[in-house]
Amino acid sequence: MTEPKASVKRYDAIVIGGGHNGLVCAAYLARAGKRVVVLERRERVGGAAMSEEVFPGFRFSVFSYVVSLLRPEIIRELDLPRHGLHILPLESTLTPLPNGDYLAQWNDHDQNRRELARHSLRDAEAYDEFGLVLHQMARVIKPVLRMAPPDPASLHPRELLDLLKLGRHFRGLRPEQFNALWKLLTMSSADYLAEWFETEALKATKSASGIIGTLLGPRSPGTAYVLLHHYMGELDGVFRAWGFAKGGNGSVSAAIAGAAQAFGAEIRTSAAVSQVLIEGGKAVGAVLEGGEEVRGKIVASSADPRRTFLSLVGEKHLPGEFVQSIRRFKFRGASAKVNLALGELPSFTCMPGAGPHLRGAVSISPSVDYLERAYDDAKYGEVSRRPYMDIVIPSMLDPGMAPPGKHVMSIFVQYAPYHLNGGWTDARREALGDAVLDTLAEYAPNLKSAVLHRQVITPADIERVVGLAEGNIFQGELSLQQMFFLRPAPAWSRYRTPVAGLWQCGSGTHPGGGVMGASGRNAAFQILGRRA
Amino acid sequence: MSPALVLGGGIDALAAAHLLARAGRRVTLLNEGIAERASDAGWVAPPLLRELQLDVRVSRADPWASALLPDGGTLELWQDMARSVEAIRRLSPQDAAKWPDFCQRMAALAGVFEQMYAEPPVNPLDLGLAFRVRRLGRQGMEDLMRLLPMPVAELLDDWFECDALKGALGAMGIVHLQQGPRSAGTAFRLLHHHIGSPPGVFRPPRSDLAARLRAIGGIEIRSAAVARITVRSGRVAGVVLTSGEEVEAELVVSGLDPRRTLLDLADPGWLDPKLARAVGHIRRNGVAARILFRTAEPKSAVLAPSLDYLERAYDEAKYARVSREPYLEARPSEGATEVHFQYAPYRRSDGDWNAARRKELADLARRLLSGLGDAEASVLAPPDLEAREGWPEGQAYHAELALDQALWMRPLPELAQYRTPIEGLWLCGPGTHPGGGIAGAAGYHCARQIALKAADRKGKVTQ
Repeated sequence: MTEPKASVKRYDAIVIGGGHNGLVCAAYLARAGKRVVVLERRERVGGAAMSEEVFPGFRFSVFSYVVSLLRPEIIRELDLPRHGLHILPLESTLTPLPNGDYLAQWNDHDQNRRELARHSLRDAEAYDEFGLVLHQMARVIKPVLRMAPPDPASLHPRELLDLLKLGRHFRGLRPEQFNALWKLLTMSSADYLAEWFETEALKATKSASGIIGTLLGPRSPGTAYVLLHHYMGELDGVFRAWGFAKGGNGSVSAAIAGAAQAFGAEIRTSAAVSQVLIEGGKAVGAVLEGGEEVRGKIVASSADPRRTFLSLVGEKHLPGEFVQSIRRFKFRGASAKVNLALGELPSFTCMPGAGPHLRGAVSISPSVDYLERAYDDAKYGEVSRRPYMDIVIPSMLDPGMAPPGKHVMSIFVQYAPYHLNGGWTDARREALGDAVLDTLAEYAPNLKSAVLHRQVITPADIERVVGLAEGNIFQGELSLQQMFFLRPAPAWSRYRTPVAGLWQCGSGTHPGGGVMGASGRNAAFQILGRRA
Repeated sequence: MSPALVLGGGIDALAAAHLLARAGRRVTLLNEGIAERASDAGWVAPPLLRELQLDVRVSRADPWASALLPDGGTLELWQDMARSVEAIRRLSPQDAAKWPDFCQRMAALAGVFEQMYAEPPVNPLDLGLAFRVRRLGRQGMEDLMRLLPMPVAELLDDWFECDALKGALGAMGIVHLQQGPRSAGTAFRLLHHHIGSPPGVFRPPRSDLAARLRAIGGIEIRSAAVARITVRSGRVAGVVLTSGEEVEAELVVSGLDPRRTLLDLADPGWLDPKLARAVGHIRRNGVAARILFRTAEPKSAVLAPSLDYLERAYDEAKYARVSREPYLEARPSEGATEVHFQYAPYRRSDGDWNAARRKELADLARRLLSGLGDAEASVLAPPDLEAREGWPEGQAYHAELALDQALWMRPLPELAQYRTPIEGLWLCGPGTHPGGGIAGAAGYHCARQIALKAADRKGKVTQ
């Protein structure tokens, strides 16, 4: 892909970072006829959305592992299915319980209702209404995701117009809708769910989606919103549908990269940017680690705000207040990943043998207290002794991921704090792997003997390999004071930066992470001076 | 005008009763015999004083905090900012340099709330609010938007390094709240308690409002407990006392907590089932005990040596346990020492509150705060506060004051304008806007809404 003379070419736009947001941004710019180059540090594109044959014959979505939040308009506009994107839906979530029972949530409405009624008739009744309310809230939020957040203090006519639009959007809501949204924004997922349900495992499993990627517990206010964030999953117009990309999450990136290239974008891998080139206060290109200069009319960085501003741009080019805002932007990665190559399928005590439940997710979240205790450990800098886990077996839906008869298991683990007391070492990494296997073996006793290989990825590893600051999977915590007009810094939420010609297009900007691609798309529209 | 019954002996009920009387109604205040003394803590809204032509004496402790340091010393924070700066400088010159700026920024934000608290709950979708916020200017607006949802720990960590200073301030973010300083929304609580104080003072003032209100007369006060609020065809008809006596009234204003008023005293069948369910979900979560030590010398002290200390104290409350190392705040009260003990949950995971468990609280406080000696102690655990003060689950503010139960959401959006769906039944307690820790403002707003409604109806009749 690399052209030796690329350096003398003058591009319209240089995109730093070939993660999914960088690629989405590049694809939209190229689609508008711009000459675009993507500069990726690693030897392949994809960032955290990447598949790799970690062990011979076993392929993994090494970091991010499910698709759901990817915006449908991106799939449509970039025609991703034509570029190889194929999504296999997940069918269920199983929560095994310590007493040998389980709670299963099925995509099939009647089956789900029967199962819930087994635990609580009241919860089974409440479930549909709950789904309806969250569905409505997700619809209220959806147009906001497409918006470049206006600066509320600005007097610029365009931003005032956007403010007015935003105001009209919210004023168009019925008061009860607005209030329901306010509750979601300010409540803890535990309190919010307690208003609906009584089954402990149901509350815990639902609240778990509120804590993903965040160093907060289910009782921390603000986590109810993240619950909604995860409810916005929308595949083929069906809310709440989660799935795998065939071939792993690397195929998401590959499809977007394919689309970008089809529109004429150039993608250079092994091209690590060491510095944004600034001349006369304006970004005019990027300097690669070898010293090569790549010049373009504008530069868009999909790296996280800390890397973009404090390391690639440098404080001397930025106003002091802005630097302060970026410095206090919270990352605090809290999630780890364990990837297992299995010789046989796990057999859960509560539902022995193979079955449809293995085609869905398994959630280790027996109670709200269990999750909260896991958070307590992390709050003071320790790995959870008994962690929350979200487990999928992609080879059940996509047999190509593992050799015949064998399987790959992906375990998302929380909490493993980036700021670990004493720091991360190889021994601590293995101890995390042991804690995960020990906990899981309590529910699936054959698991330990089934493990052929294991890969443990700590937040420190995520930072080192993918480049995400502090290993935060959202490029910055999704807490209220870091969202919308405040992401990543007040007055700079519209993808612009204090350096002329430099733009941000990563998930450190509105609306944030989760393989959504919205940041990349919104940024591209802002760069092109168009409305989404 | 029809006579009115006001329920409850709190400062809001008292304020509402006098305002209704001033508007020409015959008012009977039914004080349950609990709450001998209405709390006089917190800012008094100026319009309330204007309306009643009252003048109150406001007292402010000086120093407003004597924060205990782990080495045995104290950090004293004073009404006089320069003196506080001096005291802070001994621990951290950097923090001392930042203190005046921090205080100005917080005072500007508290000013926004002061304005909002002097009015009935704002409509968040009202353009007026948007313009008011914009008038704060860029800095103020950014502060407000960032601060409102923030954990108080994050706010204080942004500014300061001194643990004792952060602990003494952080405590105001969590007082009477089942959350720790690292929980979102606690920075708002710091502002809530800052209202009515000069810049640099982060403890609510006290006033003699309750005594002044009692002195003006003009209302009948009866010591009687209400068993039931009677409702006929959707209209309030009066109350039944626990003695069995029936008292008729077309207007009943309850300063008791909203859940009790609407679900226990009135028949919930009068509410829309959805609303009844929501009322049942109003969170109370009492988390504090009050201990009175009959010390010879009244004592002032704050034991909140760091934010982590407060957070760990909260951790135990999450699992319904008493903090082994609680946040304590001692202040002089009627010649003795009153200690606020947090966290002491209403429901304990290890069984009921009993005499031995109450004594444990006093012993722990004695051990952690020097100078209490062997003074006789009386402990009011959350269930005692519920029985004595009418605080549901021991919650002083009747409904937990968190962002989802504040402003136009307090205690629920449907009840935030002080009216209930039962004609003639109103809410005026700290469970309504602006809530506990503010003296009499909820009672004032409620009485005003009643007067507006009456005027409205009169207008219609004369037409």
